[in-house]
Amino acid sequence: MRSILTKPDTPGPSLALCALVLLGAPLGCDTTLPFPVASAHSEDSPPRRGGTLHLATYGDLRSGIDPASGTDQSLGPIHLVFAGLVDYDGSARVVPDLADHWAVDDGGRTYRFVLRVGVIMHDGAELTADDVKRSAERALHPSTPDPNASYFANIAGYEAYAAGRADHLAGVVVEGRYVVAFHLAKPDSTFPYLLAMHTLRPTCRSAGDRYSDAWLACGAGPFELPPSGWRRGTSLRLVRHPGYFRPGEPYLDAVEWTFNMKALAQRVRFERGELDLARELTDGDTARFMADARWRPLGTVEADTSIYGESMNTRMAPFDNLEIRRAVAAAIDREHLRMVQPSRMSVLTQALPKALWDDPSFAGQGYDYPAALQHMKKAGYPFDPVTGTGGWTEPIEYLLFDQGLDVYTAQLVQQDLAKVGLRLRLHLVSYSAFLTLQERADASAMSQGNWMLDYPDPSSIFDPLFTTEAIASEGSFNTAFYSNPRFDELAARAHLEADAAVRRALYREANAILCDQAPWAFTFGHHNFDVRQAYVHGFAPHPVGPLDVSGVWLDRAGEALERALGGGLR
Amino acid sequence: MLDAPARTRFARNRSALAGAAVVALLVAFALVGPLLASHGALESDFARGVAPDAMPVGPSAAFPLGADRIFRDVFARLAVAGRLSLLVAVSATLIASAIGAFVGIVAGYYEGTRQHLPWPAAVGLVGALGAVASGCTRLAIGALIAGTTASLLRRFGGPRLDVDGLLMRTVDVMLAFPFLLLVMAIGAALDRTSAVTLFVILGATGWMGIARVLRARTMQVRSLDYVAASRALGQPPGSVMFKHVLPNVAGPLIVSATVLVAQMIVADSVLSYLGLGIAPPTPTWGRMLFEGQDYYSTAPWLVAAPATAILLAVWGFNMLGEGLRDAIDPHEA
Repeated sequence: MRSILTKPDTPGPSLALCALVLLGAPLGCDTTLPFPVASAHSEDSPPRRGGTLHLATYGDLRSGIDPASGTDQSLGPIHLVFAGLVDYDGSARVVPDLADHWAVDDGGRTYRFVLRVGVIMHDGAELTADDVKRSAERALHPSTPDPNASYFANIAGYEAYAAGRADHLAGVVVEGRYVVAFHLAKPDSTFPYLLAMHTLRPTCRSAGDRYSDAWLACGAGPFELPPSGWRRGTSLRLVRHPGYFRPGEPYLDAVEWTFNMKALAQRVRFERGELDLARELTDGDTARFMADARWRPLGTVEADTSIYGESMNTRMAPFDNLEIRRAVAAAIDREHLRMVQPSRMSVLTQALPKALWDDPSFAGQGYDYPAALQHMKKAGYPFDPVTGTGGWTEPIEYLLFDQGLDVYTAQLVQQDLAKVGLRLRLHLVSYSAFLTLQERADASAMSQGNWMLDYPDPSSIFDPLFTTEAIASEGSFNTAFYSNPRFDELAARAHLEADAAVRRALYREANAILCDQAPWAFTFGHHNFDVRQAYVHGFAPHPVGPLDVSGVWLDRAGEALERALGGGLR
Repeated sequence: MLDAPARTRFARNRSALAGAAVVALLVAFALVGPLLASHGALESDFARGVAPDAMPVGPSAAFPLGADRIFRDVFARLAVAGRLSLLVAVSATLIASAIGAFVGIVAGYYEGTRQHLPWPAAVGLVGALGAVASGCTRLAIGALIAGTTASLLRRFGGPRLDVDGLLMRTVDVMLAFPFLLLVMAIGAALDRTSAVTLFVILGATGWMGIARVLRARTMQVRSLDYVAASRALGQPPGSVMFKHVLPNVAGPLIVSATVLVAQMIVADSVLSYLGLGIAPPTPTWGRMLFEGQDYYSTAPWLVAAPATAILLAVWGFNMLGEGLRDAIDPHEA
């Protein structure tokens, strides 16, 4: 899915207040980090039950707590409230979760899941195969605002169901109280990854057959939403699901989020011990925590799950010229871009994040200034760096939005491309306008492209961003409007291929095509940095990004005293 | 405007002198600063601008005010931003002063009477507004036809209007909108913001205070003997207003305009801070403040520099305006 280089930068304080506060900083405000709040017992002591985990985010749950519609900040709560048939283990492999096991039949066209017996949902009902089918039909119904529905187009009967010509999704078949089969139109070895996403996670019967945003979230996950737990725009409180199918879990009594909290406020509250775990620190604060020997062991640098690049519209001048695209790919000094947020960015020279493709032998794109000038010459627009003459004479419109770090990376790209005779004019718009224009065929020549893995497989990048099938005149995720029959063929074959080594070879060739044809100049990968208090244990990053605290337990020193004082220490 | 006693009063006013000095220094900094800087305002320096911890370097010989988060010279950017801020603020103030003076003098001159509208002026104003508002020629033509028709009607004793009431109610309506909210709404509606659109927006929405001040002053001036004599001699109203009223309200106009420059600097900074100003990479004080706020604990110069510039500019123009007011009209001091 799309990702934004998250920086909680929506303007808030007035200029006068800001000036006063900020002027105070250089005049001697203490910027030393405090000690982490200690743990009562050692790290290797057994997990303890109880306590409330306090979190905060700059955002809000705009897409609700519903697996059928959730995106962005909603994914963390959704992950806790809704369990799926499958999930990831610590090595990012797909393993059974609500399912006891599954089998693949019919040459890869049928995935048959046998559910665990006795899984109790938040409403007290037992999970059955009917719930799985109903939830899938609810999520994929044409009236549901599901941004991921197209991922499931390979389920037999999807087309008729999505078009409203069928009442039921024919490809999801209940074969017994605890057995459900997914029949696919063609074999797809990535299907378990799709089920590990949140979209088709089973919901309680109270969710009904059709989507409604007035529904109280209810699933089979480790935490449940109490009736007054979500104060929209303010906070969310999830409490332990007493009937959770994994005995003894979860360890926490509750998880609480505070919304719309700016990064600075989050850092201050984290330092005071009012937040237990922080993810959305500014880069400066991240650097401080990483540099501090007391805090460094409590920080978690997650794997890159997002890719960023300069998307060039291959249907618009000058990027309909392959050599100019290659010049762009060679002219951008990615190490310079990385310096914008060094604690969370890593240099990217090909289409896949390092979590998926860490192969030093793979020759992708890279900064090569003489080569960039040569490409400009081959394109027919030679540029003389001494006199500054030549190159593409017209300014090239670069679309960006004023949120996150795009504004900074765009200015560096602007500097780099000016050195090869490509003059960018930055066109700053709102995020919604950015999406509309970027995804329209004839609206913008160049923009920053980004994508966050939905599941840990190259198809999560290749299919939505670079295949011909992903092109649309409006709402096109293929923002380069890139079409290459050979690339399409490789991507399609990889879906069918069950042999991991063969798939990798197919993806390698596809990746090489993208690096050479340069619909994007791939620039950097992005990862999260989480820092926790010393008493927070059991935190493990999720393979594709959402904040997963399902295994967390707390062991705060002085907690007994705190309880006696009625929480007065917090 | 500033006679010898007024100049003496101004010279004895320390606050006013300090304000004038700050304004002069800011203007000098904006003009000369970019020439003194060792880097261009748009140029990143990854060789000298990066500290060992990969953060921007702090104030040093090469970067007198430190480097920003993409390692550009804050000193050079501050000076270039100063040029822009002062240009926008002064231009917007000139526009606001022109509109405010026109409205205030006309309203004050006709206060308490019902007049045939000064059609040529009204048509000119409506036509100009029509042209500014999205270049809609139909509106301008419509205004022209309406004006001409009304002029013909006037010849036959057409309707009389309370000119003062009409103008002041317009001022009231515009003042009812929070100034910054109005400016932000217009700024957000524009696809692109340039320095020209910025000062036109600020000028077109910031004239009401001046109009009110000059209306009150005009009401005093119009009853003076020489103004009454001019009217008695048959001098047209426009001529009386321009030749006799305007010079006598110039003092308050200059004072109001000077203070308004400070407000325009704040408005320009707010727009930039909110992302509605001039697009990057062009530096503006508000944008620099916005970009630096997340780093106030690790790179405080990123916010201290633009915040100080904004504070000094606003303080300087306010002190200068107050000093001019005290010098020109000591009774109001």
